[in-house]
Amino acid sequence: MENGERGYTEGNLGLKMIQVQNLKRIYVMGKVEVHALKGVSFDIEKGEYVAIMGPSGSGKSTLLHQLGLLDIPTSGEIMIDGVDVLSLSDHEKTIYRLTRLGYVFQEYAILGELTALENVYLPLLMMGKRRKEYINTSIGILETVGLGHRLHHLQHELSGGEQQRVAIARALVNEPKILFADEPCANLDSDSSKQILELFRKLNNELGQTIVMVTHEDWHKEYADRTIWLKDGLIEK
Amino acid sequence: MFKNLKVSFFLAWKSITRGNKGTLILTVMIMSLIFVNLIFLPSIISGIGESINQLSIDYLCANLIIEPKEDNFYINNVDSIQKKLNRLDGVVGTSSRYVTGATFTHKSKFVSGAIYSVNPTDEIVVTKFHTKLIDGEYLSKADTDEIIMGVELTGEEGVVGEQADLGGVTVGDKIEVTFSNGVIREYRLKGIYKTGPMGTDKFAFITKKEMESVLGLDNQASEILVKISQRGDEEEFRKKFMEIGISEDIKTWEDRMAGVVESMLSSFNLINLISAIISLVMAVVVMFIVIYINIVHKRKQIGILKAIGINQRAIIHSYVIQALVYCFSGIIVGSFLLLFLTSYMTANPLEFPMGAVTPLIESQLVIQSIISLIIVSLIAGFIPSWKTAREDILKAIWG
Repeated sequence: MENGERGYTEGNLGLKMIQVQNLKRIYVMGKVEVHALKGVSFDIEKGEYVAIMGPSGSGKSTLLHQLGLLDIPTSGEIMIDGVDVLSLSDHEKTIYRLTRLGYVFQEYAILGELTALENVYLPLLMMGKRRKEYINTSIGILETVGLGHRLHHLQHELSGGEQQRVAIARALVNEPKILFADEPCANLDSDSSKQILELFRKLNNELGQTIVMVTHEDWHKEYADRTIWLKDGLIEK
Repeated sequence: MFKNLKVSFFLAWKSITRGNKGTLILTVMIMSLIFVNLIFLPSIISGIGESINQLSIDYLCANLIIEPKEDNFYINNVDSIQKKLNRLDGVVGTSSRYVTGATFTHKSKFVSGAIYSVNPTDEIVVTKFHTKLIDGEYLSKADTDEIIMGVELTGEEGVVGEQADLGGVTVGDKIEVTFSNGVIREYRLKGIYKTGPMGTDKFAFITKKEMESVLGLDNQASEILVKISQRGDEEEFRKKFMEIGISEDIKTWEDRMAGVVESMLSSFNLINLISAIISLVMAVVVMFIVIYINIVHKRKQIGILKAIGINQRAIIHSYVIQALVYCFSGIIVGSFLLLFLTSYMTANPLEFPMGAVTPLIESQLVIQSIISLIIVSLIAGFIPSWKTAREDILKAIWG
């Protein structure tokens, strides 16, 4: 695919959405230090769809956790849309995640006691939106991911692929600056995986959604604009 | 703040309505039983206290008791005082009595005790001895050679041992009474009564007319008992009595019984306190376990909620709200259980030595129990959710 067909358009070029400088994450497990990230630096531009790939233990998920403000790096810098996110307080990070970021987990991380619609409108409820607005927006986004007919179904009434699409709808409902996806197809069969990846592609193309996706499947990279390869906590290429 | 609460209520409500129904029912049942336990035992003890209080009023001192001033042995001009008192609205009746010491003898048995004299027509309005006769009849106004006695004084036939009674005298037996002034008279036992545990079953009664002839007195009394229509108005009536010029020593039944009921109930109250503390500890433990298990089960969900930007406070509040819902549901179910138990026990009272006892539920105790349970639920809901919600997001999600 050409760049022009994608969200990563000429118009967006040069607008940095994510700037990472010398990012390190060391886990201390007893007396052992595990260097999960050893100093990673890269930029991601607005509207770009980036795949992060690498073997197990290369630090892919760790990197995504740092970018998604789910973890605190040992050192380094992360700027998202011009904001030094590491300087934010815990409370500010929570608000930032709520209003600016979307996160799709490897497992179908939706809430079992809520319907598909409720799962999706929960962030909007937290943001203080009016009922009519959060219901309509959520229905719209669920229709976009192809679940307009499953609005009132609970988690156990949905297939794995449908659950993951609910999670994607929830991640998108707040119109995030960036959508992070941590191996979103890990638990899906290849048909469902294709549907998810095509959905991401469509969101990137049509809405210009910046997407950062961790994956270990080689064929997934075909859907992304660019691939960052990690190995042993460092960018390989 | 409002946004947080809206989300908290939303999450709590969905968790309650779509969560495990068995856990919900079990928790509410346990809370309701704790609530019942907090109230029921104290209400039985209050019922016993109330029963003792009522016995004091019915058999010992009526609502108010007028006694001679400190230096006097008798109240003078009793007829005039009784007339004044009887004219007051709300006074049901008055009964003037003489009390003196006496020794009762029947054959070889003798017992010392108190003998009262009453005007039977006045006395039946004020006390209830006439309703508690187990044999024979009550005194009549004109009786001069007849006596009624309590069952502890007459004794029971066939009971072997050192009893402080007359060994089982029966109606019709002749009892010799030696009064404190040395006068000795013989009376026919007209009736035997049994009232309960207040010590009044050791008394004997003759008519006032007879006592005056023994003591050589007229228009005097050792005490005047006053019955009023509404219990609780005693203080008001004491003031009224003083206003109409009663200068004697006026005591309410509470003054007269001061400390007696409390000391009788002190051991019960200790049991009560221990039971209440155990109930509250049980409530804390149960709520803590329920919320904790709920939270352990939903640890991952808490992590997800935090990851998608749900405020930590909103998450904690949702669990506190759940704990409060369990608490209030328990209180409501417990109230119905209490209502059922109280209705049943009012229809089928417990038999105690002081008579039939029904539970007496005091509003102060109910309020105190509700507040205790709410506090307990707040604590038990807050601590585990606060601990878990403070965890790192990734630790909560991946364990």
